[in-house]
Amino acid sequence: MPEPGLTLAQKILARTSGVAHPRPGQIVEAMPDFSYSHDFAVYAIDAFERMGATRVLRPDRVAICLDHIVPADNVRDANNHALIRAFAKAQRLRHFFDGGTGISHQVMFERGLVVPGSLVVASDSHAPSGGALGALALGVGETELGFAWATGRLWVKVPDTVRISLDGALPPGVHAKDLMLHMVARLGVLGAVYEVLEYAGPAAPSLSPSERFTLCNMSAELGAKSGVFPFDATTAEFLRGQAQFDFEPVQSDADAAYARELTVDLAALGPMVALPGREDRGVPVGEAAGRTVHQVFIGSCTNARADDLAIAAGILRGRRVHEDVRLIVVPASRAVMAEAARTGDLEALLEAGATFMPSGCAVCAGVHQGVLADGELCLSTSNRNAPGRMGNRKAEIALCSPATAAASAVTGVVTDAREFAAVSD
Amino acid sequence: MNLRGTVAVFGDYVSGDVILPARYAFLDPEAMTAHVLEELDPAANERVRRADILVAGTAFGYGTGRESSARALRAAGVKVAIGGPFARMFYRNAINNGLLVLDCPALVGDGVEDGCEMEIDTVAGKIRCAGRVYAVPPVPDLVNRIVAAGDLVAYGRSWLRERARGGPNA
Repeated sequence: MPEPGLTLAQKILARTSGVAHPRPGQIVEAMPDFSYSHDFAVYAIDAFERMGATRVLRPDRVAICLDHIVPADNVRDANNHALIRAFAKAQRLRHFFDGGTGISHQVMFERGLVVPGSLVVASDSHAPSGGALGALALGVGETELGFAWATGRLWVKVPDTVRISLDGALPPGVHAKDLMLHMVARLGVLGAVYEVLEYAGPAAPSLSPSERFTLCNMSAELGAKSGVFPFDATTAEFLRGQAQFDFEPVQSDADAAYARELTVDLAALGPMVALPGREDRGVPVGEAAGRTVHQVFIGSCTNARADDLAIAAGILRGRRVHEDVRLIVVPASRAVMAEAARTGDLEALLEAGATFMPSGCAVCAGVHQGVLADGELCLSTSNRNAPGRMGNRKAEIALCSPATAAASAVTGVVTDAREFAAVSD
Repeated sequence: MNLRGTVAVFGDYVSGDVILPARYAFLDPEAMTAHVLEELDPAANERVRRADILVAGTAFGYGTGRESSARALRAAGVKVAIGGPFARMFYRNAINNGLLVLDCPALVGDGVEDGCEMEIDTVAGKIRCAGRVYAVPPVPDLVNRIVAAGDLVAYGRSWLRERARGGPNA
């Protein structure tokens, strides 16, 4: 019997490992095309040096973007940043982005460093974001990133692929984040463990690169190895004149062996809120409506691009943030913030009472700024709501879209932005 | 590989953020041991520090990919995590820190308690604990080599030495 065709993920691993037909479950040693890291690069540097390595291989294919604790909060963090800057310079890393440039995943995406068909690794669990542009993008640890710098390779378990067929169209006021919170609630935080989610189906072409980013990014919340939107006309348009590397798009074979296929009817979806404690506790917004909100965070790699800020500004323009709510907005990158300044969204958010912080992981990383008081609830456009994620385990985090976040910032309680718009317009 | 040790048991859905919150991620490994799993409850920290083998429920280590979760457990003396299924970045990070991870969901909630003695034989694929015997799938060869070397740093050191000698890694 002939071997079945290969999935996109298998093809990329075949090319980068030299194994012609990598089988799901098999461990191969692959050579990544591009890798990046952030503040936690200090651990990669430490591992690299302890291995006795002296030279980063292919430094034109390595990036570091400081994003977790920017600007530095204390001497330790400042010294870590200084160590990373010195390493980047000494090793002649082609792509170093200092604090404030943006969240690493966003910066790689908007600067054409993640290209279709490539194997990308990053020392961060939200590396799958790169799948938005047709790459196989994997989250890895810091030590093994140092190993990859030194040896050019990394061990990878060949994943099964799940085909996610997206049908129908998102109704007005329902967003990619709602789709993702629905999927996480349906499948659970290990619903796709070790698997790659390949987004396809009739609705896939109509989703923008930013929406694709949100879905691939939060594929991590299903335990997936990655998520990917295969290259299409939208990807080509987005990368035109932007791609920093030559690339060859990869598609799954027509007879590729998928582990399974899931269909999601977008037209049947409504706004979702993931209740505190775990990302798979998503419920329709109505079931959470009326809960008091103390802080609203519009930020993170999941939902803080120009389109997200535009949605929030559309709701907040001409309105005021509730007096008992702190609204913190952190654009995903400086470029996003500049775009929001051009469109007027920045002004609308400021006038409504938003507090801006420098582009970076900010509140979501739980290491500095925007820490919650005991008993408070933060409604957040980010991706994680485990106990203590934002620095205080006696506070709670609920996840939602930028629309739900903005409407709730005005009312002070969890609010369905669709009703809100109808009443107030 | 044969291992023997005392067990500490943890439940389902213990996230990487709970194993070690981000605010402790830049401490020295020794200092991390004072905080590992304390977010769950203070007793959890003491329990894990007394154990060699951690029995964990589904999704242990899910969420954040910060390696410090695995680093902290290793620093606290944990040599094996068993149970699961485990989150994939935790799996990788644990192995790269020399902490063997064995998928054996059948063992979770099956009468294995804190303080039990457990014997693990990875070659035979057998685990003995509390009078029962469980089967575990074979450990992939590369994983065995990394754990046998001590951790990925040690493995990388010999890999690079091999390459410098013009051996198979050149």
